[in-house]
Amino acid sequence: MTGAVLAVVLLLSVTFAITIGPSNITPVEVWGSVLHHLGLGDSPLSLLRDGIVWQLRLPRVLTAAAVGAGLAVSGAVMQAITRNPLADPYLLGLSSGASLGAVAVLLLGIAILLPVAAFLGAMLALGLTLLLASSLGRITPSRTVLAGLAVSALASAITSLVIFWTVTGDSYREILNWLLGSLAGARWPAVEIAFAAILLAGLPIMLSGRILDAFAFGDTSAAALGINVNRTRWTFLAATALLTGAMVSVSGSIGFVGLILPHAVRLLVGPRHRALLPLSAVVGAIFLIWADTAARSVFEPRELPVGIVTAIIGAPIFAILLTRRRSEA
Amino acid sequence: MSSLPRILAVGVIVAIGLSGCATTSATSTTPSSATPTSTTLDNCGTTVRVPAVAPKRVITIKSTSTEMLLALGLGDRIVGTAFQDGPVPAQWKAAAAKLPTLSPQVPSQEVVLASEPDLIYAGWESNFSADGAGTRSDLAALGITTYVSPAACKEVGYQPTRLSFANIFQEIGEVASIFHVSDTTLLTAQRKQLAGIQKDKRGLTALWYSSGSSTPYVGAGIGAPQLVMDTIGLKNIAASVKDTWASFNWESIINANPDVIVLVDASWNTAATKIGMLEGNPATANLDAVKNHRYITVPFAASEAGVRTVSAAADLATQLAALNLT
Amino acid sequence: MSGGLDASRIDVRIDGRLIVDGVDCTVAPGTFSALIGPNGAGKSTLLRVLAAVERPERGSVEFGGDELFGLPRRQRARVVSFVEQDSSTELSLTVRDVVALGRTPHQRLFSDPSADDDVIVAMAIEAAKVGSLAERDVTTLSGGERQRVMLAKALAQQPRLLLLDEPSNHLDIAAQLSVLGLLRTLAESGVTVLAALHDLNLATAYCDHVIVLRGGRVFAAGATSAVLTPALLSQVYGVRATVLEHPRTGRPLVAFSPLD
Repeated sequence: MTGAVLAVVLLLSVTFAITIGPSNITPVEVWGSVLHHLGLGDSPLSLLRDGIVWQLRLPRVLTAAAVGAGLAVSGAVMQAITRNPLADPYLLGLSSGASLGAVAVLLLGIAILLPVAAFLGAMLALGLTLLLASSLGRITPSRTVLAGLAVSALASAITSLVIFWTVTGDSYREILNWLLGSLAGARWPAVEIAFAAILLAGLPIMLSGRILDAFAFGDTSAAALGINVNRTRWTFLAATALLTGAMVSVSGSIGFVGLILPHAVRLLVGPRHRALLPLSAVVGAIFLIWADTAARSVFEPRELPVGIVTAIIGAPIFAILLTRRRSEA
Repeated sequence: MSSLPRILAVGVIVAIGLSGCATTSATSTTPSSATPTSTTLDNCGTTVRVPAVAPKRVITIKSTSTEMLLALGLGDRIVGTAFQDGPVPAQWKAAAAKLPTLSPQVPSQEVVLASEPDLIYAGWESNFSADGAGTRSDLAALGITTYVSPAACKEVGYQPTRLSFANIFQEIGEVASIFHVSDTTLLTAQRKQLAGIQKDKRGLTALWYSSGSSTPYVGAGIGAPQLVMDTIGLKNIAASVKDTWASFNWESIINANPDVIVLVDASWNTAATKIGMLEGNPATANLDAVKNHRYITVPFAASEAGVRTVSAAADLATQLAALNLT
Repeated sequence: MSGGLDASRIDVRIDGRLIVDGVDCTVAPGTFSALIGPNGAGKSTLLRVLAAVERPERGSVEFGGDELFGLPRRQRARVVSFVEQDSSTELSLTVRDVVALGRTPHQRLFSDPSADDDVIVAMAIEAAKVGSLAERDVTTLSGGERQRVMLAKALAQQPRLLLLDEPSNHLDIAAQLSVLGLLRTLAESGVTVLAALHDLNLATAYCDHVIVLRGGRVFAAGATSAVLTPALLSQVYGVRATVLEHPRTGRPLVAFSPLD
């Protein structure tokens, strides 16, 4: 029921977000153009204005949806698997690691695909974070976040170093935007990468979400239920790293989507992952579509990196989550 | 806490001095005390005492400052250049070839001091920072005179609300006064060349495309690009943005569908790269200017306000006149 | 001993220290045994090995003739279930959701719970007497209530071997008797039950056999009344023990006093 409502909201969000932008194109013209490209009728727009809809807005809105969905699912999975309500790809260093991988490829010209590099960076950062957290003793949420912070800082510093050594002229500006998280460059290839990641990693995760419930009472309890705890944990974490890496490679590191949306969805449908994961995906998609629409239209004709929008909304909510955990420190 | 990594990233970039003044802009419209005979100058809000003896050991940061001195025949005073944007025009090639390079980007304070300069002349206000060439007050305490292109002042009241050639000519006068030389010959030549530029009468719109792929960085409404476009009769599609240069968005560009695109040519981001990008992206490939190859190009070093602005305008006017719009 | 639990020569080392040292133990099928011993004797560690959630450094654990560590995990989890001493969650699952987790090893990865699953969950809830809590949020329960929910979850696994670590912790006296009585009933219905117990009088009242652990080794094992002698208890616990006869049930009743 909730699912159906949210799916409709997502569909409406895509439909309306593509009608918003600096140029005066009416919603009817926008939809006419989209229908034309789907093989129905003629476009009501000139070739150029049709390009605005089909080459700029639609791929951008679709990328926002996929990235939002991917990050929200990643966050929900990480929260389950680390039993840490504060986990998200951003706080645990995955995003920074993925950024480092991507920047290294972009600037140093290492010959691997951008999403692959981002994935490797994300995996490496995640491994380091968990290693560091476990070397502090029993893995607790706070320790994991602290370890993630340390890994993030390291990855960011190395990223800055790479930029320092390689940037020429004013090319730093675009990299900076990208580090802050921006969907300005999202075109159809970005849509392909993001949706491929959803299909290859996101969908299997969502379908097997029930297993995550078994982690509710910890590793021993999960093992007693017949779950191969280590293999399951690393499979899920690798899948989230793949998901995060792909998303970072198209959008830079957008923070807080993975952290706050699963919490919001839990309030709606409860904590069972079979429902939580798909709905987090849908709500994440809706959220990022509108955050990006705000990013590209509020300060028109200039635009804001969408990561700033999500941080402005997300950071206070993160603070609330922290204070609710006060007693446990 | 989570923004820390970002702050670190930004911090390092600022530290290398790449950031900040990217949006170079123009002279004070209120030249408080800047006549060649006065003994102090109000330079972007810093009081600069005109030295009694002309500076003999000058460091120039950015191309605009180097070229200003070359244009005034003062190349022999330069002991080091830094952060040069590209080659100098042919007439100064020989003089420029002898100049030592301190750093490909903003030099650090120690590098600067090791050259024992008596004047540092910078193209961007941000070149003078603790993690760059040193703050202006620190350098003043060491007896080093500092000067920034007034067109690049960022402070309210000092940044030109809309750059004009008067601002550029004022800089020529101020620099001449610092070196106790005459500005007459140079100013006469500049005015003459400026007067000879034919304004295009076709009422064409244009995009000044500096850099950027996902977010285009363009010449906006108050800086050197606007001045040049006004001079040659182009209507800037980003004129409404009250900045010198600004991050823009593709949708607005496509919506405006400019008649002509001015491409900034830099070694790190050539005009050809930008053409490839425009043609390779299905959204921009259908722009009239792209389909009909209506490009005119300006070297990066000439795109910032300075002694090359007039000649850049003249050159672009010639390229523009040669474009056949049918 | 075929059919029951049969562990031999179990060694477990944690941080270089031998916590379980060459333990051999057996629990006959369909009996209820207690694992007793002072704190630090290695009861919890041994139970984790017997439940096959932790691999020993050495040794084998067989149940019903099968080596537990040789069984596929899901299949093993349909045979053995394990109730930990303290389990908690941050997730606001309902009690019914938690008990339904017990069905995990009976379900396929991508499938939804079947009608059978629902029936078995309802029966487990009934058996553990947590029906009145079924729709409550598990994070709001008291320790005793939660303990019973965890027992219900274990029952939903439909195990043939049930291992419990201090199941009477957190429970008030009535609840202790009711949980132990339930375990006794389960044993009589054929489930092999082994529980680590602190309260020796619960062991004497409900258990057929006891295994006494001290310093990681089996100190004694056998029928409850034969093993729990005053001499053994004072040796193991370092107290003076007196064994009386329970005036109502006639079973052994242990009373303690300090050594002189």
